[in-house]
Amino acid sequence: MTERRLAVRLKVPDNTAYTALVALRRLGVPVARVERATLIVVAAADDSAALEGVRRDEALFNANLHEVELVRCSAPEAGEIWVRARDASSMQAWRLFDEDGAPVPRATLEWARDALLCNPAIETAVVGR
Amino acid sequence: MRSVAVLVFPGTNSEEETVRLLRVYGADARLVHWSCAQTLGEYDAYVLSGGFAYEDRIRAGAIAARDAMMDPVIDGARQGKLVMGICNGAQILLEAGLVPGSGDSRRPTAAFTRNVPPHFICKQVYVKLTVEPRRSIITAALAAGAVLPAWAAHGEGRLAAGAEQMAQIANENHLAFVYARADGRVDDAATPNGSALHCAGLVNRDGNVLALMPHPERVFPARSALFESFVKGVEAS
Repeated sequence: MTERRLAVRLKVPDNTAYTALVALRRLGVPVARVERATLIVVAAADDSAALEGVRRDEALFNANLHEVELVRCSAPEAGEIWVRARDASSMQAWRLFDEDGAPVPRATLEWARDALLCNPAIETAVVGR
Repeated sequence: MRSVAVLVFPGTNSEEETVRLLRVYGADARLVHWSCAQTLGEYDAYVLSGGFAYEDRIRAGAIAARDAMMDPVIDGARQGKLVMGICNGAQILLEAGLVPGSGDSRRPTAAFTRNVPPHFICKQVYVKLTVEPRRSIITAALAAGAVLPAWAAHGEGRLAAGAEQMAQIANENHLAFVYARADGRVDDAATPNGSALHCAGLVNRDGNVLALMPHPERVFPARSALFESFVKGVEAS
């Protein structure tokens, strides 16, 4: 059994991501699109067992609403920020894109972290490149 | 007569009982919905009531705290206007950085976060005033050590902060109310959510902003010494 990280995200419109987008833009953060996923770590014999385990967990996954995929990287990628509540095992992964559809630069991610996405009193955040 | 705005965000759900109880004590209290935020600057005081503003998206109170509706509230608090937040309103005040107020505006230094154990609770509780009443103009008309009934109705009411901020809360008299038994004893059993310092409510440095997690306005019959004290404070301010 080895640990694997998976991303569970909505396949229907994500109102929370849209609300974050509107709030960030109001705060002056230059972002054009926001995506969100919940990152979880599971112990499984192989990739397919990990995916199947999540798909069977009705507390995590509703096939009508969610899709799940493996996350191969161990740290956030460009344009991405991972936020973990200090008392939680899962993380929220936010992806921010600019007007051209490219990942926003690190400085913008840090701005978004400080302005909205992370409350440092109860959460920690890791910012991508 | 001074005016009190009870803010209504999308998802607020305790505004009617809040405005009704403020009026019991003679306040000129009015509901102000998010679509009328431009009128907020005209009011003398603000109350943020309970609910789930913006569905608590991202974190409890996070979006509302950064909403344009909070601009006049933050400006008013800086001018010394009285601001009281109850339950979700309290979460919003912490997210806005107004309470404990040691951080910059909209830079939170503490939070009312997920209960321990991590369940929504709905039960009658008692809260005890732990500061000298005159520490805050909002509590000035309460008796020292007053024990007040209220209803805890939240899934995220546990005070959490870093060690430095927690020491600041304890040492600089921000801890306004703690959970207590009806006879005033304070212990873990009386604290329904694992809140640090048994905290039920925090006040800012200047004493004009109070964040209280349980609902005094949901007690029946509808009377609240805290609301009465708040209205007296508004009239005196």
